[in-house]
Amino acid sequence: MTQTDTNLRALAASTLAPLLHHQGSLKSQMASALAQCEPRDRALLQAICYGVMRYQPQLAALSKLLLKRPFKARDLDVRALLWVGLYQLEHLRVPPHAAISETVAAAETLGKGWAKGLLNAVQRRYQRERNTLYEQLQSEPSFRYNHPGWLIDKLQHNWPDHWQQILEQNDHNGPMTLRVNVARISRDDYLQQLQEAGIAARPCRFAKQGLTLAEPCDVSVLPGFDDGLVSVQDEAAQLAGELLQLEPGQRLLDACAAPGGKLCHALELQSGLADTVAVELDAGRAERIEQNLERLDLQAALVIGDASSDDWWDGTAFDRVLVDAPCSATGVIRRNPDIKYLRRSEDIKALADLQLAVLSNSWRMLKPGGRLVYATCSIFPQENERLVQRFLKQTDDACHCPIEADWGLPCDTGRQLLPQRDGHDGFYYAVLEKAKKSVTEQAD
Amino acid sequence: MAIRDILEFPDPRLRTVAKPVEVVDDQIRALIDDMFETMYDAPGIGLAATQIDVHLRVLTIDLSDEHNEPLVLINPEFEVLDEEPHKYQEGCLSVPGFFEDVVRPQKIRVQALDRNGDTLDFIADDLLAVCIQHEIDHLNGKLFVDHISALKRNRIRTKLEKKHRLEAAHA
Repeated sequence: MTQTDTNLRALAASTLAPLLHHQGSLKSQMASALAQCEPRDRALLQAICYGVMRYQPQLAALSKLLLKRPFKARDLDVRALLWVGLYQLEHLRVPPHAAISETVAAAETLGKGWAKGLLNAVQRRYQRERNTLYEQLQSEPSFRYNHPGWLIDKLQHNWPDHWQQILEQNDHNGPMTLRVNVARISRDDYLQQLQEAGIAARPCRFAKQGLTLAEPCDVSVLPGFDDGLVSVQDEAAQLAGELLQLEPGQRLLDACAAPGGKLCHALELQSGLADTVAVELDAGRAERIEQNLERLDLQAALVIGDASSDDWWDGTAFDRVLVDAPCSATGVIRRNPDIKYLRRSEDIKALADLQLAVLSNSWRMLKPGGRLVYATCSIFPQENERLVQRFLKQTDDACHCPIEADWGLPCDTGRQLLPQRDGHDGFYYAVLEKAKKSVTEQAD
Repeated sequence: MAIRDILEFPDPRLRTVAKPVEVVDDQIRALIDDMFETMYDAPGIGLAATQIDVHLRVLTIDLSDEHNEPLVLINPEFEVLDEEPHKYQEGCLSVPGFFEDVVRPQKIRVQALDRNGDTLDFIADDLLAVCIQHEIDHLNGKLFVDHISALKRNRIRTKLEKKHRLEAAHA
């Protein structure tokens, strides 16, 4: 018998190294890494890369303890490789001797042969002293809760009753949830098609078009996926469609549209819209919108533009506006574990300022009497409840409409969803309506 | 000691059912030494005598990186202790260059003789359980490719046959 020959650990380390330099995201890195990888190794590569970023706070603390001095900036690939090695030893069912020797051999593949002795020594010491190391580090919150310290502090402060539950859910995989295209097929009928295909699923608790799969699967095995019967979308994200209360003849603006999930959902729910404009800043991400529209056979005008400026706007107001604002994505850490490493506490203030700019700009494009849905996948009130309050304070013709729903937690403005085991992601929604006539006109 | 040639799939000799060893003598110990040398050279973590065209129930195994944990199993038998299916991506010196997931029971009890003819009786799990089952298959004329789909098996057969033709042409 022989063992596998490709060095997956080297590929994992070179996939993660750019992230350590704060370049790109795990999702974008993974796409090119998977293309370089043998099909039989793809699942393992994905497990290693996502796992390392998920356990990065612990792995970083362990390597700090095990190393005499930190790696130089040009050797961040070796740092990534060490994390890969430690992650395997702790979390993967790979025989330790194989894990260690593969990781040591990977140094050579990376052109960092000098690190072989070090990697070997550090991993073997970890093996010997694992329990002592863990005990030693337990007193550090970032190790104990496996999150960066600032994130733990902020969550403790903002969610005194929920922070532990949030931290725990962030380290569990979220379920794979589908949105049935009700313009084409009912949820019950699609559920039956899934059952016939041997795929176990159950209706979502809150999202009326949602089905949660018992086990994640490749979209290629989903009946009618290519024909647009169904899309992959978390349950929380599916709640936007209903909140928009779309009616025939209306004009809809989706101000931050990529990848187009909520946009397509809106179009599936209301086929009689007069006009739909989807704005996206990033041309690369806008392609994803186009692909989704095409697959689902839906139409929208796609604009590459900045939602905080109006240079792309023709001046015709919208009846409905969806602002799914750029945010810290702290509600979807379980799906994007690199957020733990990439996000910094100082980002939140800058994001909130951007959110306010996007919201204020989009507000001007809303007709009097029109409805705006503000959404983020953040769990920080600074980007959500308090942001909407900041907006309301500075905007005379804006009126907050409480959301009557059985999901999430009611806030002073809007509702907050926290990530749920086998359920929805962390998300926030608020609904605002524009006064029929502006206050200033009435004064005139 | 000598490095022996390893038979490659689809060689029909790999289908031979090996005979039990009657006496563990110096001749068998010489075979074992050759098997280790051949296995370490390949490199592999397990070898059955069948693979070097000796049809006796002898296995050599070493899972360590340092080649310092040799295990000899003569006339090995196993019983399944844990039916829990365990998936492992197996490769084989007789099927060079191909790796496929094979599902086997994850925990077994093994009984065999060692190189001195003394009785061994132990429990194996994880990779060791995989490897022992894989090698005992060889002694029964089976290969890991018998555990995968016919489509994959035939693809591997075609590719190896082509490789063998090319090697013969260049020999």
